[in-house]
Amino acid sequence: MQRLSFHDQIRNNKIKSFLLIIVIFIFFLILGFIISLILDPSYFFIIMIISIIFSMSYVLISYYNSDKIALASVKAKPASQTEHREFYHAAEGMAIASGLPMPKLYIMESSEINAFASGRNPKNAVICVTTGCLQKLSKQELEGVIAHEMSHVANYDIRFITLTAVLVGMISIIAQIFLRSLWFSSMRGRGRDGRVQIFLILIGILFAILAPIAAQLVSLAISRKREFGADATAVKLTRYPPGLTSALKKIKQEHISSKEKHKFAKALAPLFISDPFKRKIKGLFSTHPDINERIKKLERM
Amino acid sequence: MPTGLIWTVIVLAILVVLILIYYFNRFIVLGNRIDNSLSQIDVQLRKRADLVPTLISTVKGYAKHESKIMKEVTDARKVLLGAKTIEKKMKAGSELQNALKSIFAIAENYPQLKANENFLHLQKELAAIEDKISYSRQFYNDSILTYNNTCKSFPGIFFARIYGKSPKKFLQIPTEARAVPKIEF
Repeated sequence: MQRLSFHDQIRNNKIKSFLLIIVIFIFFLILGFIISLILDPSYFFIIMIISIIFSMSYVLISYYNSDKIALASVKAKPASQTEHREFYHAAEGMAIASGLPMPKLYIMESSEINAFASGRNPKNAVICVTTGCLQKLSKQELEGVIAHEMSHVANYDIRFITLTAVLVGMISIIAQIFLRSLWFSSMRGRGRDGRVQIFLILIGILFAILAPIAAQLVSLAISRKREFGADATAVKLTRYPPGLTSALKKIKQEHISSKEKHKFAKALAPLFISDPFKRKIKGLFSTHPDINERIKKLERM
Repeated sequence: MPTGLIWTVIVLAILVVLILIYYFNRFIVLGNRIDNSLSQIDVQLRKRADLVPTLISTVKGYAKHESKIMKEVTDARKVLLGAKTIEKKMKAGSELQNALKSIFAIAENYPQLKANENFLHLQKELAAIEDKISYSRQFYNDSILTYNNTCKSFPGIFFARIYGKSPKKFLQIPTEARAVPKIEF
């Protein structure tokens, strides 16, 4: 029964990912249509062709490079075989236990305990942990955290999150472009059509509203159910619930001591153009799906 | 309505063929997964065996007269490398593990050996390999469980008979591995 729901979740994620690609595509087409209306309807076809090419390349490039973008945006470095031996051992163990190919391993500089998985499929998956993760967690705890990330890889959560982030990133970029072009055109004070001006303003505002909503969508995508599912699969891999449980407890302790900082970052995030890339990351603990509840569930296993 | 009947028969036939193909492939995929996980166990056991000579030469430098234990380890390694079936390999593997445990136990008597960096490194590596062996065994048994479930549950049981597939045996942990190793001083 549990097995069945697991497969359902994978299928679900694949379907949702496909739908998201279509949404992104349609979005660009509509945009091209609007632009052609504003500029000159006679350019309609040229603009539409350009927007099709642009949207295709945007989706493809970000889909195939999502892991690299995510890693670059957090300044992650490849983990070394000799220096981060424990990390490699834990990840290899989890790869064997899950029967998945070995993911590429990365380290990011941060004293906080955190980890994420990214990539478009299990073959091209990456797992990145913070230096704090390696310093503060015991072997069993680290194994639990990596098992959790491995579960996101196995469930195809990473693909869905990646695509959601593509959408979010796109909307923020366009919002920026609109707002900026507006700024420049008013600076130069060229005698532009008043109607066009109003149109641009409206679209800029629309995107400015849409961007945070899309960002919110990402955090919704990392729903509680997904996290609980990954926790359960992690336990299935390690057969040792206390590992992940005590890792979560350590993280909870950190959250309590650094609550202010988290709130600050969360409120400002939709404003930054680079932040959406940070959010695409299937952060193990970046959104808080009630850590206490997770610990409780794990303790009952 | 003969044409309607013919179409129904054709559609049903296609459906049956599709289901047959699906189950055939399913058995192949699940069977391959089992073979794969089996070779993974093998890889890890071999890795452990490969570390033994280095370990022996390191220990020899500090504890020359512990030749009995050293011989035990080398013998266990030979048995492991010569083993053919997975059961024998697992058994030899756990014997090697026990012999290694006694080496690490005697190391307590040799502070210099215990502080040797190479020795510490090998100890960690061997512990990690031990973990990986148990994970690979776990995945092997998981794969067998999935395979057996498909073989035994409806409608899989029906197709298992057609393709002559029968449930496979789980890999048991050798009893020696569960027992606490005796340490002689």
